Amino acid sequence: MGADLFQDRILLLDGAMGTVLQQRGLPPGGVPELLNLTDPALLASVYREYAEAGSQVVYANTFGANARKLAPTGRTVSEVVAAAVQTAREAVAGRALVALDVGPLGELLEPMGRLTFEEAYELFREMMAAGAAAGADLIAIETMTDLYEARAALLAAKEHTDLPVLVTMSFEEGGRTFTGCTAAAMARTLEGLGADAIGVNCSLGPDQLAPLLREICENTRLPVAAKPNAGLPDPVDGHYSMGPEAFAAALAPCLELGVTIFGGCCGTSPAYIRRLKAALEGARPAQRRYRGGGFVCTPSVSVNLEGVRVIGERVNPTGKKRFQQALLEDDLDYVLDVAAAQEEAGADILDVNVGCPGVDEAALLPRVVKKLQSAVSLPLQLDSSNPAALEAALRVYNGKAAVNSVNGEPAVLGRILPVVKKYGAAVVGLTMDQEGIPRTAERRVEIARRILEAALACGIPKEDVWIDCLALTVSAQQSQAAETLKAVRTVRRELGLYTVLGVSNISFGLPNRPLVTENFLIQALAAGLTMPILNPNQREMMDAVAAFRVLSGEDAQCRDYVARFSGAPAAGASSAGTLTLEEAVARGLRADAARLAREALETEDGLALVERRLIPALDAVGDGYERGTVFLPQLLGAAQAAQAVFETVREALAARGGGTVKKGKLILATVRGDIHDIGKNIVRTLLENYGYQVIDLGRDVPPETVARTAAEQNVGLVGLSALMTTTLPAMEETVRCLRALDVPPAVFVGGAVVTPEYAAKIGADGYAKDARASVEIARRVLG
Amino acid sequence: MKPDVTAEALRYLGAADAPEPLRRQTEEEMEALRSQLRPRYIYRVWDLERRPCGVHLAGTDLTLEGETAARMLESCDRAALLACTLGTRFDQLLTAAQARSMARAVILDACGSALVEQGCDEAEEALSAYFPGRYLTDRFSPGYGDLSLELQRGLCAALDSQRRLGLHVTESLLLNPVKSVTAVIGISDRPQMARIRGCAYCQMRDRCVLRRGGKHCGS
Repeated sequence: MGADLFQDRILLLDGAMGTVLQQRGLPPGGVPELLNLTDPALLASVYREYAEAGSQVVYANTFGANARKLAPTGRTVSEVVAAAVQTAREAVAGRALVALDVGPLGELLEPMGRLTFEEAYELFREMMAAGAAAGADLIAIETMTDLYEARAALLAAKEHTDLPVLVTMSFEEGGRTFTGCTAAAMARTLEGLGADAIGVNCSLGPDQLAPLLREICENTRLPVAAKPNAGLPDPVDGHYSMGPEAFAAALAPCLELGVTIFGGCCGTSPAYIRRLKAALEGARPAQRRYRGGGFVCTPSVSVNLEGVRVIGERVNPTGKKRFQQALLEDDLDYVLDVAAAQEEAGADILDVNVGCPGVDEAALLPRVVKKLQSAVSLPLQLDSSNPAALEAALRVYNGKAAVNSVNGEPAVLGRILPVVKKYGAAVVGLTMDQEGIPRTAERRVEIARRILEAALACGIPKEDVWIDCLALTVSAQQSQAAETLKAVRTVRRELGLYTVLGVSNISFGLPNRPLVTENFLIQALAAGLTMPILNPNQREMMDAVAAFRVLSGEDAQCRDYVARFSGAPAAGASSAGTLTLEEAVARGLRADAARLAREALETEDGLALVERRLIPALDAVGDGYERGTVFLPQLLGAAQAAQAVFETVREALAARGGGTVKKGKLILATVRGDIHDIGKNIVRTLLENYGYQVIDLGRDVPPETVARTAAEQNVGLVGLSALMTTTLPAMEETVRCLRALDVPPAVFVGGAVVTPEYAAKIGADGYAKDARASVEIARRVLG
Repeated sequence: MKPDVTAEALRYLGAADAPEPLRRQTEEEMEALRSQLRPRYIYRVWDLERRPCGVHLAGTDLTLEGETAARMLESCDRAALLACTLGTRFDQLLTAAQARSMARAVILDACGSALVEQGCDEAEEALSAYFPGRYLTDRFSPGYGDLSLELQRGLCAALDSQRRLGLHVTESLLLNPVKSVTAVIGISDRPQMARIRGCAYCQMRDRCVLRRGGKHCGS
């Protein structure tokens, strides 16, 4: 059978199971999958009625048959799934195919929730294997609202069965899922990952689907499904608003948009399917219009490549001591800060490179991807030549990524292209091979052509092949700048491929580098460069791109350009001159504080600067906070300015190859079960800016992890936060675990529901009523 | 008359009398937030049955036990369950803000708390329009008074909040996404006398550390 199940035909699915069972007297709630074992006859009657009404596929009653939801029932996934599939198969008696129905796991995935991607995959894997063993004909992953969860399910299905897979997600009227995923991002990501058909189900009525289905059809070559609700539920009686006639009349026109797979979700019944069958009688699949074109995305941000797209280059340790130090110390917050700054500066895509001596790239790259995706919305370009690191990172990347890079060397192509294909990524091809970088444009284009052919042979579509013609340092190889530009022009015009180029290297070794780089950037854009890799924090580079977009017509009505330059403060109007370092800190002026610190470091010692000027300035702000004349955002603003000073001092020390401004070490954690961590983060910000080295274990931290880390890292102080009465027992247990250590650290606690009395009762050494109080405690304990 | 949403956010920050720059920054933050997301809500109405152990919502397996529910729903024949959330997008914005600037993050956090409460107000107005001539009680939530936090699970299940709103309850009974509220609202033929002594009526309103953290106490 395989994927052609969905191809070139109209396919009729079934309608709801849950709401039909409720109509037959089943109370809502509970675990409906248990019916597979306790009342198969009831389910069989529903399957049979759907098959008789015309459903060519019925969904077995396995929506929530995962180990997590079944745990309280004592039943196993395989017995519940086997019973469901068997009942369905017998009931339809060859008149319809049976799908393993796979719904969401019922818990939010990371980064919002506690379930990791790997755990979700494992739960789905068990279901998929059980479904295949039970003899399901296909897999229907449905009602997904988190693209990450849909990816985990699809990967599990592809890696553990040979069955065709239909994936449908549930969208809101605004065109996004609850977690912010767009229809285009869903379509591109799931097609890339190997789904056989995709579409929408649940959440909306058939009359609200047209814009959504149009967007999906334009962004995929796969067959598209629509399985909507029977309108909206009445808030008083819970009944859905549309009858079978109206439902079928509203859904059938979706055929014109390109939909070929039809069915119903909540509120529908066999009567709806019968009507739908009649309405689709004799229908033929409509002509589809795939938009095509290059595309990368995260769930919430889609980047189409029609126009100039800036790739930010800053997440890269090469030649940056401070960045290398952050990687070696596992300071992923620093990496996130670098990435977020580029997003703010207007980059479209971020290159991510964590390769440096002493780093296990295969372990670190996926962790960095997860960290960045928790806060940065931009698509990422994974920059590594290590296939294991790339595979691990692509696996956990949420969306459609790019890979940087392959080159013309056959062994490299053979290693990396299959990974790119498996995860549906785009790939950058460098125009070099085992013999190095050719000196002529012609030879580079030849390699580009070879890379394209290898990618196509591997099943990677042309629009996902980007070519980097390689910019060399002009002061060393002057004739090469022209060759690079010539190669860019040919690759873009003759091969019709998107082009990537790291432009910053060109000016290495020359005075006034930005001028040369900018000049080269503009020439390259004119030659046909579509994706410059550059430092978006350099304003002149982004200005040049903004101007180019005006001249090329990409920036319609010069809107972005005008917005960029209107209302901008005149240069040099800052308060420089009279401002002192202390004032800059007090007023939260980060850039000024950093600049003044740099100036001060020319004459003052770094450590003295921190002790004699920075800390007293912070104390003054803290005192104001205590008196109620300074508010929390201002206190934190001052802390951030202080952080900028610290960074400056740290960079100066790192450049000199030694020394640290860190005081004592402490651990901070939000206790197990608690997912609110802003309070803990406020405390961290303040403590770090007094120079303490904070090991932040994050939120939802098990007691054993806190205790183990305290012992391993030999820390003198641990701070614990809890926000809910339900998580206080976890706080108590954590204190107990710490007390049991050979050398127990001092423990202080805080959080909305924690009182001084409670702190004393559970044996904590201190209670911090706010962030400022935690600084006092740290001073007392650590000095 | 409810105070405007930015003023509410400043109260959550413990900065009701904030200096102008902070007030302006909060206003801008609120505006930016509202351009990116809006509170979403669902509600559903059930008939009430008096049972020895509490007030039962007919057709569900949900019974509201304790003094708070009994008092608040005394004259009511029906009640609505309500859930409102800013969604996971807010969580992402807050994480991003925390990575760049904690000062901004605490303002954003307060704006989120104020905005989700405003969503509840909107839901209440929509509910009220459904029942012209009838009266709604103050809304009250699991964790208020003696209304058990355990109720969170059953309440969300009855509303099918995971599927319909993307709202989850964690094992430790926290709502996820973080800026979410669930509540009960009674419906009655006469004005309800019992009030929730909630934040709106509390003298500690401007100083309360719970409110600064976007939380409520039980009274």
